Amino acid sequence: MRVLRLHPEKCTGCLRCELACSYEQTGAFQPAKSVIRVSPFEGHTSYAPYTCTQCAEGWCMTACPVGAITINAAGAKDVLDDTCVGCKLCTIACPYGTMFYDPATRKAFKCNLCGGAPACAEACPTAAITYEETATADWLGDFARERTARVLTGVS
Amino acid sequence: MATRHLIIGGGTAGINAIRTIREEEREHSEITLVSAEPPYSRMVLPYYLDRSIAESHVFTATARVLAGWGVKTHLGRRAAALDPKAGTCTLDDGTAVPYDDCLIATGSSPVRAPVPGADGPRVHSFWTLDEARGVLAGIARGSHVVMVGAGFIAFTILNSILSLGARLTIVEMEPRILPRMIDGTGAGLVEAWLETHGVAIRTGARLARIEDAKGRKRLRFAAGGDLTCDLVIMATGIKTNLDWLKGSGVSVNRGVVVDDRLRSSADNVYAAGDVAEGRDLISGEPAVHAIEPTAQEHGRIAGANMAGRDVRYRGSLIINIVEVCHLDVASFGAWDDPKAEAASGVRADRPAYRKLLWRGDRLTGAIILGPSGDIWTTNDVGMLKGLVQSGAPLGAWKAHLKKNPFDVKLAFIASGITKALLPETILGRPAKAPGDTPVAV
Repeated sequence: MRVLRLHPEKCTGCLRCELACSYEQTGAFQPAKSVIRVSPFEGHTSYAPYTCTQCAEGWCMTACPVGAITINAAGAKDVLDDTCVGCKLCTIACPYGTMFYDPATRKAFKCNLCGGAPACAEACPTAAITYEETATADWLGDFARERTARVLTGVS
Repeated sequence: MATRHLIIGGGTAGINAIRTIREEEREHSEITLVSAEPPYSRMVLPYYLDRSIAESHVFTATARVLAGWGVKTHLGRRAAALDPKAGTCTLDDGTAVPYDDCLIATGSSPVRAPVPGADGPRVHSFWTLDEARGVLAGIARGSHVVMVGAGFIAFTILNSILSLGARLTIVEMEPRILPRMIDGTGAGLVEAWLETHGVAIRTGARLARIEDAKGRKRLRFAAGGDLTCDLVIMATGIKTNLDWLKGSGVSVNRGVVVDDRLRSSADNVYAAGDVAEGRDLISGEPAVHAIEPTAQEHGRIAGANMAGRDVRYRGSLIINIVEVCHLDVASFGAWDDPKAEAASGVRADRPAYRKLLWRGDRLTGAIILGPSGDIWTTNDVGMLKGLVQSGAPLGAWKAHLKKNPFDVKLAFIASGITKALLPETILGRPAKAPGDTPVAV
């Protein structure tokens, strides 16, 4: 399966991925509706995008009481808007914090890999987000550990 | 001869077990379902109550789906007695159903406050589809609804009642709301929030009786101060449906005692969901977790083991979320552990609240409150669950979080929680999509 591979060392924090994601997903440029989110590290000297890993368990999918989360043709866990009632169980079942809820539509939303052509990867000018045939992984852990050493109490 | 599986209870645990048996079995088995009600999800009844979904939307496994799965049904029937030695379950109409293994998934039932008038007209529980129909029929725009009990169930239908145009008063015997879901600080923030949204709250109120009053209802309290209303909803707790197991020889404590394969003390008898007393993930102790996610996981583990796999369950994590007037309120794990080391942060103006609890350098519980439209609320909700679920050592991040309890995301990413969680699956394999369960042949 192709997944979103994140290369944090290449991220410039330009937020084009968030704009592209929200535009593709909702038809409006509004980073607050993006399901890929860029976080700053080391006092905004470096950045990294973060999004759904499309994990094997699919905690959101197995938690949904009405079967509103399924696996789409791209292999991504995807919310069926007509079936979702907005109960938010998926938001507490997902242990990665990548399940969102829109109070305006009263639906849950998440990364669905744009059905196989992820807008974030296409929009990224530095190839910090690539769409590749590879196993999903923790792309940010080592990078973040290194870039946060100084903010930690008692760590020099 | 094909193995005969008997599933007693068509709620979340039972239906997940049936699906998983069909997913995991090597040879086609016989499955029989006994259920007092047709299978539906209680989780979505609040959305039926506020009329945002049709009644047909609540059903989880329709007759057609069950037929597709090759499930023989006894709907509208209850199990009356179990004889594990003979391998027989007797139904309330006297029918004897033989089985090779069976799953007890009989759930729980609502309990009403033991006061005179609690069973009178226009006093409702909100638990079953029938009860939801009754409440929906009894509320009109401008009705005054009194909810007795300020627990999780009451709060799941709070938005629905308001959206129907009713006026709402919540009455709670304990000194604060949501006593089994959040702490006093969180409860205080939610109470203030609800009052600004027009919900009246009366805590520490001991209900004495409910009377009829010229076509309306009057609630009398031990300390005086009557309330008159059009409809009363009793959300005063639940009890596990265990009585029918008397004499069966199945070990029962607060629920049916089960091991890490969801097996009861009796041969070939499993139990799952509200009725089962399984392992708590955090404490490792036996506990009854009457919540939807536990019923799902229990059902899947029991189903896999009944289908002949050997799948061990690590234990269930208490997780709860409720949204009231666009304020998210959630808690995870051992949020009320008096022996835990705790840190918290409050931003009363938003309002936003985080409480984090540790044993050693592992996060064992958390409470979160925040506006549901606030990105950081939804981000932190999932990540707090991940931190508690993974049990990963937080090292230096513990001290950081104690000082900065709102900085959950950075701690989550930099502690490598994703790496710790990715290999974790409930059944030791990728989960299947809801429509991918193999249909019986």
